Amino acid sequence: MADEEDEVETVFIMATVKINGKEITVEDGTLILDAARQAGFEIPTFCYQARLSGLGSCRMCLVEIAGQKKLQPSCVTPVLHGMDVFTENETVKSARASMLEFLLANHPLDCPTCDKGGECELQNFVFKSGPRQSGFSEWKRRFHDKDKILSPVIVKNHNRCIHCERCVRICDEVVGAKALGGIGRGVMIQSTGFMDDRLDCDHCGNCIEVCPVGSFMSLPYRYKARPWDLKEVDTVCPYCATGCQITIGIRNGEVVRVKSRINTGINKETLCARGRFGYHFIQSRDRITKPMVKKDGKLAECSWDEALSVIKQMFGSGRRTAGIASARYTNEELFVFQKLVREVFKTNNIDLDSRFANKWVTSAMIDACSLAAGGIPIFDALKADLIFIIGSAVSDENPVTDYLIRTAASDRRKTLIIAHPRRMKLDSSSAISLRYKPGTEGEVIKGIADFIENGGESTSDINAAAARFKNASNITMFLGAEILRLANGVDVLTGIAALKALLKRSGKNIKCLPLFDRCNQRGARAMGIHPLFLPGLKKVKEDGMDCGEMLDAAKKGEIDSLYVLGEDIVSMHPDARFAREALSNIKFKVVQDTFLTETAKIADVILPGASYAEKDGTFTNQEGRVQRLRKVISPVGDSKDDLDILCSIGGFAYKSAREVFEKIKKEVAGYKDISFEELDGNGAIVTGHGRQSLSLKGTVPLLSGSDNSGQQSIKEDKEYPFLLITGNHLFHSGRLSQRADILMQLLPEPFVEISEDDARESGIVDGEKVVVKGNGYEAAMKLRIAKGSQKGVAFVPENFDSVSVNMFYKKGEGIPRVKIVKLP
Amino acid sequence: MLSDKSKEEIKRVLNKYPNKRSAAMDALRIAQNETGCLSGDVMQEVAGILGMPAPQVNEVAAFYTMYNKKPVGKYHIQVCTNVSCSLLGAEHIVEFLSRKLGIKKGETTPDKKVTLSVVECLGSCGTAPMMQINDDYYEDLTDEKIEEILSKLP
Amino acid sequence: MFEPILLKNINTHDSHRIDVYLKNGGYQALAAALKMQPDGIIQTVKDSGLRGRGGAGFPTGLKWSFIPKDPTIPKYLCCNADEGEPGTFKDRVIIEKDPHQLIEGMIITCCAIGAKVAYIYIRGEFVFGAERLKTAIDEAYQKGYLGKNILGSNFNCDIYIHKGAGAYICGEETALLESIEGRRGRPRIKPPFPALAGLYAKPTVINNVETLSCISHIVNRGAKWFASIGPEKSPGPKLFGVSGHVNKPGMYELPMGTTAREIIYNHAGGIRDSRKLKAFIPGGVSAPMLTERDLDTPMDFDSLAAKGTMLGSGGIIVMDETACIVKVAMRTMGFFRHESCGKCTPCREGTDWTYKVLQRIERGEGKEGDVELLEKLCGNIFGRTFCPLGDGAVMALRGALKHFRDEFAYHVKNKRCMG
Repeated sequence: MADEEDEVETVFIMATVKINGKEITVEDGTLILDAARQAGFEIPTFCYQARLSGLGSCRMCLVEIAGQKKLQPSCVTPVLHGMDVFTENETVKSARASMLEFLLANHPLDCPTCDKGGECELQNFVFKSGPRQSGFSEWKRRFHDKDKILSPVIVKNHNRCIHCERCVRICDEVVGAKALGGIGRGVMIQSTGFMDDRLDCDHCGNCIEVCPVGSFMSLPYRYKARPWDLKEVDTVCPYCATGCQITIGIRNGEVVRVKSRINTGINKETLCARGRFGYHFIQSRDRITKPMVKKDGKLAECSWDEALSVIKQMFGSGRRTAGIASARYTNEELFVFQKLVREVFKTNNIDLDSRFANKWVTSAMIDACSLAAGGIPIFDALKADLIFIIGSAVSDENPVTDYLIRTAASDRRKTLIIAHPRRMKLDSSSAISLRYKPGTEGEVIKGIADFIENGGESTSDINAAAARFKNASNITMFLGAEILRLANGVDVLTGIAALKALLKRSGKNIKCLPLFDRCNQRGARAMGIHPLFLPGLKKVKEDGMDCGEMLDAAKKGEIDSLYVLGEDIVSMHPDARFAREALSNIKFKVVQDTFLTETAKIADVILPGASYAEKDGTFTNQEGRVQRLRKVISPVGDSKDDLDILCSIGGFAYKSAREVFEKIKKEVAGYKDISFEELDGNGAIVTGHGRQSLSLKGTVPLLSGSDNSGQQSIKEDKEYPFLLITGNHLFHSGRLSQRADILMQLLPEPFVEISEDDARESGIVDGEKVVVKGNGYEAAMKLRIAKGSQKGVAFVPENFDSVSVNMFYKKGEGIPRVKIVKLP
Repeated sequence: MLSDKSKEEIKRVLNKYPNKRSAAMDALRIAQNETGCLSGDVMQEVAGILGMPAPQVNEVAAFYTMYNKKPVGKYHIQVCTNVSCSLLGAEHIVEFLSRKLGIKKGETTPDKKVTLSVVECLGSCGTAPMMQINDDYYEDLTDEKIEEILSKLP
Repeated sequence: MFEPILLKNINTHDSHRIDVYLKNGGYQALAAALKMQPDGIIQTVKDSGLRGRGGAGFPTGLKWSFIPKDPTIPKYLCCNADEGEPGTFKDRVIIEKDPHQLIEGMIITCCAIGAKVAYIYIRGEFVFGAERLKTAIDEAYQKGYLGKNILGSNFNCDIYIHKGAGAYICGEETALLESIEGRRGRPRIKPPFPALAGLYAKPTVINNVETLSCISHIVNRGAKWFASIGPEKSPGPKLFGVSGHVNKPGMYELPMGTTAREIIYNHAGGIRDSRKLKAFIPGGVSAPMLTERDLDTPMDFDSLAAKGTMLGSGGIIVMDETACIVKVAMRTMGFFRHESCGKCTPCREGTDWTYKVLQRIERGEGKEGDVELLEKLCGNIFGRTFCPLGDGAVMALRGALKHFRDEFAYHVKNKRCMG
């Protein structure tokens, strides 16, 4: 647990009730359904789902309460002290059976051709409690003969719908897309999209997941398997750092679906489009499956022995070597990677790709979020009465975190404040959404702190937000990874630390969580992938170079060998030209990856590694929750488990991820109590690494007053009027997602998004093709209008090889400026 | 696109309520008065004005029977066939109209002049059988009366 | 001869105009009420014994007394003018002929419960009625009976019209609230009850047009006077709408508790063509039908409840011996099926299934066991639905089956009507 004070314990009033004669004491206000479940009596339900608002409509959960004439719906009726409830008597059982008989009346019973057959809740309940015969012999309601394809991922059969409306409510209340509605009335209701036409939504497929029958179905999974044919393995999503638990289903060695389980993980039943439909990269034809070495300037396939011997022969050691890893690798792989770099290559020149941040900013982030002090379960964090998010388009970057925050913020006693230049879906749940120009995050923080300290009139949005801070007693701040990209990121993070201190002084409880865009960003730092820190965030004796410094050194010819684990530096480093030039100066480059990335193309040796579905290990999500990855399939072709590759090169004797984890437990204090074997769907929260902060104060070069590069770009520039933000799109993550066919169907190419005001001024309409120009680079793309975004800000997703957004960046100049012109 | 007049009218009804959503039913009625029926585009426009998700406007439009999802004729004849009217020959009235107009219930004459619908109780049971043409009630119907009413439709 | 109270002025020329209303003593009750304490008004209405005329018969004064007294919480009054129960056409008469009677009652009610805003939820089909109401409300504003500082008091009140658009279910009070809030008219979970969290989650009273129209008379003439009309437990005047096979269908205002025989034979002119009465529905189609044997039952809440039916809206539908009860039952179930909002399983599926069976029997395609099936379906729906609509459907069918089971059986066996 982190360094935060314990929260005041809430005292609950209890109620004692009898359920089927069994006495049980529960918190007053508990639903009869929950009380019965606690007492060990299962009550079947369709419309009820714990995370959704109560509907009380399916009437499956009717129970008898002594003294009441009518049966009562247990899913919306709270217990009262002294209540005597019957959930299993004949009246209740026959009511239950009659509801099932009603539901079957208009249900087509086309189970043999239904994807849900075998895991259908209607089937299961009828089997368990249903009538054994039906008196129904009338014509059945029929909406259509052919199923409706509503989107690239959703196929709908209205005939099978039993009207539990879980789909409509999850889309509205949890996902926030509000894309579904109940159209019609009586038996003719259809839960579907606008005009029962194509769905333009988040394509998260949560409607499919919650559908108890085969009404909402996954188009990609359609007719691919029967549930009993599937081998299913629980593992962790490889995209953002929310860390959703997923279940991968394979049939005949092919991954055919990804789903989530109702009781597992912080995501429970929900996922986003990436998590649910972004799995096709695993068995993509483009995977590299054979090692390659550069011969006569050309990459050629070779044997593993040859590749490894070339590396052993050519890779140097000491200061002139370096290692860069991606935060998509497991704790075990990254731990061994840092061992390889530090012990074999004998250098502290090790970093994550750190696309935009130097080692001081990343350290300041670790400090601001107290990452060394242990994890904070997100549900604890969301208990706060004020939730503040800055520096993350969380709806795009961490979609399931967006769901969790939306659900929490639906409690009217809570206040959500979002600070971001772009409009986002979660804004509809916020009390205040602060807009600002990227680079001025520090001013937002300072404005809030000033108001709290000195007061003033709460006329501006910032002051109104600050007033909310003043009134709150438990505050949770979410700090987004965009802060890492700021040239003045250290200033911003120092400001946040000062604001935290100020709030603490006035007696408030503060929690701070990072919002990371890569699944194991937090774990990677703890594993020692940082030029300043060993595993456990222990300070190194001699500082290494961060990613930017390595490239600077390379440019000057001071790096001879570079080992790149799964990162595409050429595509992602801000200033593509510089990165390519610097890398080409390095004599010997090894790239271990799953695809032939732009960086791999200029490597001297390429080692084909494995995807997340092909390995065991652990990820640590942004909360600090350690979760198990489980191997689903063997590495494709001749590719190998990354841990095996790293161990072969380093000469380490680890036989499995579990063995590495045992070693991690010894070196990384926060992991010492975690049992690899016992990690279940809920994972385990890391404890503190034995220190509260990194104690880097004094050594961190503050930018204010020295290097003002971050501020410079804020100045007006008439020719290039837009400040450019780049980041992930809802359907994409890094460059990995463009290898997933369905995600590419959902969004095949980048676009540029600007505010409505800017669009009006430039006379460009939504969907029009434009050219974005800046830093001597230009790219054509479609324009999208975001109502309510900050004026003077443009956004382009950074997920496509077709547009190298990092070409817009110029090293040392911070946030790039661009102009947008209509295509003639 | 809705006319400025309709948009103004919608803006006026907003004043009745503490939130915009409450004006959904009025707004759809105003839109339908102008456009005849509620197409996807019209609903989307109403959604935009009220700041509502379009599927939720669709929900409202589809729930209430007076919103036309399909175009109707210049004259929309709605015959009540509920119990009181039925006891006094509402089915005959429907048949008679059907024969006179040459269309079945639910249909519109080819010249788009008249649509014939069968509806539930219109609250005029004491003067059954009855029908509504657009906004007006016609009560105590007989064949002769219907012939006269039809002949007087401009 | 009973002197009409609610319908007193309807035959006066221009009875809907405020001048005519004022000439007949209109808005004097409001002036008096504004001088009373709100609690005093509530007590008067309690003492009058007035029970809700929408169907359920809940004591009106008691309903008002549930509204929290805290003046800082906004409160609402909603007038339920979504008259849609088949057989009912009483509210329409008041709205079209004497709208000020309703408006005055509403302003007094707002005063009593501390509401500053009231909505009249009028069914969309009543276009003419809505126009009349609109004109009347405008007149009331002009004369200072609505708006700010009404009659020099510090009481403010606004009334708005909310038009429905075709949904019987919106007559259910929580569905009505959903509808005003711009949603589908689907009933809400109770509790919370509207008195605590109703419209916009604020304390709300929902009263029927006829109920609210009684208020000015109670204030004018006193609780005692009102309580002296009709039976002790459900006093006051009542509008009875008579339709179907009678010589003089129409609206009759009589004391609560008048017998069905008197209404049908003395006022509505008896059965047409001197036929025999076969059955009558006492209070809109949800009320189980009765037969000739029950003609002497007093038409009030308690007496009809004792007969296993209900006063409901007081809409009496009379059937002579030519009526086919199977067809009436089928038509009634068809109505409920059409009006079921579709939210809960037993109502949505039950009315659909039952309707299909009735349709089949009526068409002459009945099968052995159909009557038993209908009885089973009634049992599976009744008491298990989300709101009273499903129960209403079952009660109507059960009423028909109770008295005319043989006719259903005959239909099933002989594939045709008995007559």
